[in-house]
Amino acid sequence: MSNTLRPYLNAVRSTLTAALCLDNFASQIVEKHNVPEVEAGNSKEVLLNPLIVSRNENEQVLIESSVNSVRISIKIKQADDIERILAHQFTRFLMLRAENFVILRRVPIKGYDISFLVTNFHTEQMYKHKLVDFIIEFMEEVDKEISEMKLSLNARARIVAETYLSQFV
Amino acid sequence: MILLEPHSFVLEETLLSRFTSEKPEVVDIKLVDFDNVIYHLQSSPEQRSLLTLSVEMTYFNEVLAYGAEEILAREYGDYMVPPTNSQHNISLQFDLEKLPEDKAALAKHVSLLKRNVLASPFLRAFEYWESQQEGAGPLMATHYRENEAIYVQAQQDRVTVIFSTLFKEEVDRVLGKVFLQEFVDARRLASIQNAPQVVYSSREAPLEIRHLPGLRQDESVGYVSFVLFPRHFADPEAREKTISQIQLFRDYLHYHIKCAKAYMHSRMRTRVKEFLKVINRAKPDRVTSMSEKRTATGRYFRPQFRQSGSPQQVEGEW
Repeated sequence: MSNTLRPYLNAVRSTLTAALCLDNFASQIVEKHNVPEVEAGNSKEVLLNPLIVSRNENEQVLIESSVNSVRISIKIKQADDIERILAHQFTRFLMLRAENFVILRRVPIKGYDISFLVTNFHTEQMYKHKLVDFIIEFMEEVDKEISEMKLSLNARARIVAETYLSQFV
Repeated sequence: MILLEPHSFVLEETLLSRFTSEKPEVVDIKLVDFDNVIYHLQSSPEQRSLLTLSVEMTYFNEVLAYGAEEILAREYGDYMVPPTNSQHNISLQFDLEKLPEDKAALAKHVSLLKRNVLASPFLRAFEYWESQQEGAGPLMATHYRENEAIYVQAQQDRVTVIFSTLFKEEVDRVLGKVFLQEFVDARRLASIQNAPQVVYSSREAPLEIRHLPGLRQDESVGYVSFVLFPRHFADPEAREKTISQIQLFRDYLHYHIKCAKAYMHSRMRTRVKEFLKVINRAKPDRVTSMSEKRTATGRYFRPQFRQSGSPQQVEGEW
């Protein structure tokens, strides 16, 4: 792992652990409703300051917390056209399966590639530290997967080209 | 299977099975090949032993001008009949009772029909080169698909083949760029120094064809030029091989783009499965004895509070 990735992930991990301090909190505006306040945004007093952990301008994590929910948005590194397409396809692929991923949001926040929404119900039903582990592992693996896919694409292209051209010799 | 084959496998199979069947059956089969070529295999109930193969080709009129007629007459002269339907460009008729001994060879030979027809502009260009005329030969265009064409032009010392190919999707375009770039770079390898030179440009058409009207020049189009040198077509054997291979370039490229996409897809699928395992680790194991508790009446007892998914149901607007 490169020198800057470790502290970046550590910072995200500790911020997340601190942010995932959630409580059951019913809506103050509509009776009998219990909505993630960070999504509803109706009562300002229960929202906390959003926070950005940033490795560089292309890799950032936005953590927006509120009294009963946390929204985590990740910007994935996209250096060129191929990485952009791979990242887009990969995140789309995941978000289509958001149902299975419980905490995954179907649509990312504008300017980010993928978003998670953790509510107090999730933290009550699941281990908090494992949820954090999941997000950290996701961040690690996504970069790795995209660069591996890119490499394998280039290798394939090379083999394809060489095989075709070597027929003419 | 990295390389594509110049003959149509399905046509060969179908023909061979008809040729070798004991009793001639009535058939009416439609087969397709690359570049929107459609084969129509028929035999009428009255004359079961007569098998007609009709071919539909959108670019047939173009290749006629480059001498496709002579090639057809030379290769399939014995079987040629005038097409009965205006949609069909070529018709071959086989009398199942008077077939030659080697039926497999005939089937194979007929399955190369598309390749032989499309070979005409290439052969014309090679002949032009042999005649050693001054200056460049005529530019021969074959619009083998809608908005896509092959241009062949003979020069004094070489033959240039230009493919224009269309990438319908953004993803295809980007992957196509990667592949084509590798085609350009691959020549640096010592073992394939003798391969034809490949030049690739997207959006901007090469100089040879820039004067043509109606060329698409935007992001979705790629132009690939192959420069064939005399060593690729001087001797007849190499010439046939070169023609077979170069014709399939577009199909080869697109086939591998599709393969790459399929591979990426299956990879993502496995990765998603891995991620699911990770997130499932966060869920505590349910104690089995808990969920199997029964009440006195024999019903299952389940805790009523806190159903997962309930917060989502009431939200509605986000």
